[in-house]
Amino acid sequence: MVDFIQMVVSGVAVGSSYALMGLAMVIIYKTSEVPNFAQGEMALVTSFVTMMLLTTFGYPVWLAFCLAFVFAAALGAFLEFAVLRRAKNPNILGTIVITIGLEMVLLGLVSWKFGAEQKTMPFPIGPYDSFIIGDIFIAKLEALTLVSALVLMALLFFFFRYSRLGLAMKATQQNPTAAKIVGIRTNRIMMMTWGISSVVGATAGLLISPVIMHPFMMWDPMLKGFAAAVMGGMTSLPGAVVAAYMLGIIENLFGGYVSIEFKSVVAFAIIVLVLCFKPSGLFARHYVKKV
Amino acid sequence: MKKKMMILGCMILMLFSAPIAWTEEGVTDTEIHIGQWGPQTGPAAAWGSVARGTGDYFKWINATGGIHGRKIVYHMFDDGYNPAKTKAGVKELQEGTGIFAWASGVGTSPGLAVKDYLMERKVPWVGPAAGSLHWVSPPEKHLFAVYPLYYNEARALVRYAVEDMGKKRVAVAYLNDEYGKNGLRGAIEELEAHGMEVVAQVPVEQTDSDVKPHVMQLRKSDADMVLLWTTVSHAVRIVGTAKAMNFTPQFMSTSTCSDFPLMNHISKGLWEGVICATFGELPDSDHPGMQQYKKEVFDQFASKDERWGMFYAAGIIFIEPMIEALKNAGPDLTREKFVTEMEKLTGFKGVGPEVNFKPFDPNDMYSRQGTRQTFLVQCLADGKAEKLTDWITLD
Repeated sequence: MVDFIQMVVSGVAVGSSYALMGLAMVIIYKTSEVPNFAQGEMALVTSFVTMMLLTTFGYPVWLAFCLAFVFAAALGAFLEFAVLRRAKNPNILGTIVITIGLEMVLLGLVSWKFGAEQKTMPFPIGPYDSFIIGDIFIAKLEALTLVSALVLMALLFFFFRYSRLGLAMKATQQNPTAAKIVGIRTNRIMMMTWGISSVVGATAGLLISPVIMHPFMMWDPMLKGFAAAVMGGMTSLPGAVVAAYMLGIIENLFGGYVSIEFKSVVAFAIIVLVLCFKPSGLFARHYVKKV
Repeated sequence: MKKKMMILGCMILMLFSAPIAWTEEGVTDTEIHIGQWGPQTGPAAAWGSVARGTGDYFKWINATGGIHGRKIVYHMFDDGYNPAKTKAGVKELQEGTGIFAWASGVGTSPGLAVKDYLMERKVPWVGPAAGSLHWVSPPEKHLFAVYPLYYNEARALVRYAVEDMGKKRVAVAYLNDEYGKNGLRGAIEELEAHGMEVVAQVPVEQTDSDVKPHVMQLRKSDADMVLLWTTVSHAVRIVGTAKAMNFTPQFMSTSTCSDFPLMNHISKGLWEGVICATFGELPDSDHPGMQQYKKEVFDQFASKDERWGMFYAAGIIFIEPMIEALKNAGPDLTREKFVTEMEKLTGFKGVGPEVNFKPFDPNDMYSRQGTRQTFLVQCLADGKAEKLTDWITLD
C-alpha cells in the first residue's frame, strides 16, 4: 500500500511539470489553433538566460526570476511577431513546420551559446530536498511545481473566463474576422497570447533547471505536456492539467506494476487511445464553426 | 600530325616528371590524414571534448615536428551521436578526402554504424571511445581497442564491492542499450563467480526524465550497493532521488561518469562517496605525463571555453598508442606497416592503462583489446578523486 501511495504521489509530482507545459500549449492553441512545438525550447532559452543572470552576473534569485519572466514574455511576443505573423495564410501543417523550425533554431542557439555540458541552476530549494511523511516522500521542488501549476491554472482559467483580454483571446480564436469587426486588435492579441504562453512554459523550465540543465532537458516535459494537452482536449486548461496528473500517475503505476522499460511510451499509447475513442479529448467542449 | 605528336610528347613528359605521389590512401609526402567523429551537439555533446582533446593533441604533435616530417591533418566532424550521421560523415571523408586511419570516435552505436564499412575497406581504426565488447568480439584485424571493456570495469567494481567492502546485495541500474547491457553482463558474471546474484536489474530508457519508479525498485531490493551504468544525467538523478528517499547504498559507476568535478557540480555535491572505474590517470593527478599534456597540449592549444577534464584527456589517452605506432612505422608509411607496428605494442604505457596487442588471432579478442586494466577512484567532497586501487588487471 505504501508503494502504491508513493507511486501516486510521485505521479502527481512529475505530472506538475507536464501540466505547466500542457497549459502553455493550450493557451496558444486556444487562441490561434497552432500546436506550438517550440514551446519547450522557448522555456529552454529562458532557463539558460536566467542561469546566466544568476551565475555570470550574480543577480539575486528573485530579480533573476522577475527578469526571466519579462524575457520569456518578450521572447514569445517576438517570435509571434517576427516569424508566425510573417507566414502567408499558413494551414495547420505549415504552422507545425514553422514551430518545429523554431524549435531547432532555439535549440541550436542554446547549444552554441551555453555548450552541451550538463549544468544546474542555483536555487534556494535543493533539487533533492524532500518532505518525508511516514514512508512517503515528496521533493520540495516538486511540491513547489505542483503549487505553481495549480495557481497558474486557476489564474488562467479566471483570466480567460472573466477578463476582457481573456474574452478577446477567445473571440480571436473562434472568429478572427468578427473579432476584428468588433474592434479587437487580433494581431496584438496573438502577440500577447504567445507572451503569456511563453511565461507559463518558462515556469516549468525554471523549476526543472535546479535539477539538471542541458540543451535537451525540455524534450520529455514538452512531449508529455503535449500528450496531456491532447488528452485534455487542446482547448481546456483544467483538462490539460488533470490529464497531465493522470499521465504522471499512470506512468508511475505502469512503471511500478507492469513494465519500467515501457513507462515512457505509455503516454503516447494513451494519446492514440484517446484520439481513437474521443478525438476531441477528455475534457473539451468543442466549439463548432459554421462554414 | 606534328602538333598532335608534340602534345602527346608533352603529356608523357609531364606524367614522368611529376613528383612521385605517395600511394597509400590518406598519406602524402607531407601529410597524414586522420579522421574522427564526435558529438559536438545533441544529447551526448558533453562527450564531444574527446574529439577536441585529440585535435589539440595532434596540433601539439605537429608543432613538435610531426611524424617523420609529416603533419597530421585532422578531419573531425560532428555526428550529434546519430549513427546515420556518423556513417554519412565517415563515407564522405573516406571516399572524398581519403583518410589513412580513424582515431577514437565517441559512442557504441555510432561506432557500430561504421565498423563494417571501415573493416571491409581495411582502414585502421584505433581507440574507439567506448568500452564495448562489439569492437573485439569477434576481433577485427584493423580495429584496435584501447578503452577498458565496460564488462571488465563492472567486474572490477563488483569485485571491489564484494571482496573489499563486504557488500552482500548488489543491484544494477543500466541504460537499456548495448552500453548498459555490457555493464550488466560484467556485474552478473562477477557476482556468479562469488556465488551471488544481482538483487535487482533496473533498465533506464534514454528518454526517462523521472527516475522515481526506478529508485523505488532499487530501494525495494534492499541493495547495499547499486551499480549505475547509465548516462551522466540519469546517474545524477538516481543518486539524488535515492538521497531524497533516504535510500543510501554505496553507489558505483562506470568510467563515463568519472569526471568528478562535473559530476559533483551537477549533483550539487551528492556525488561525494561514489566509486567509479576509470581509464586513465586523472587530469589533476601529479603523473608527469598528465602534467606535461596539461602544460603543453591543453594550455597551448585548447580553446578558452575548454575544460581540462577527464573526457578531454581521454582524447589523448586513447590515441597515444596510435601515435607510437605511426612513429615506429618509419617514413615509408603504409597501412600494413602501421597495423604491424600496432601489433608490436606490448607493455606500452602512456597516461592510460598498459597496452598490449598481439598478431591478429580471430579466436583471441585480446589480440585487439589492448588493455585489461582499470583502476577505481572515489569522489571526494570537492570533486577531487581519491585513488582506491592501483591499476587492476582482469583475466
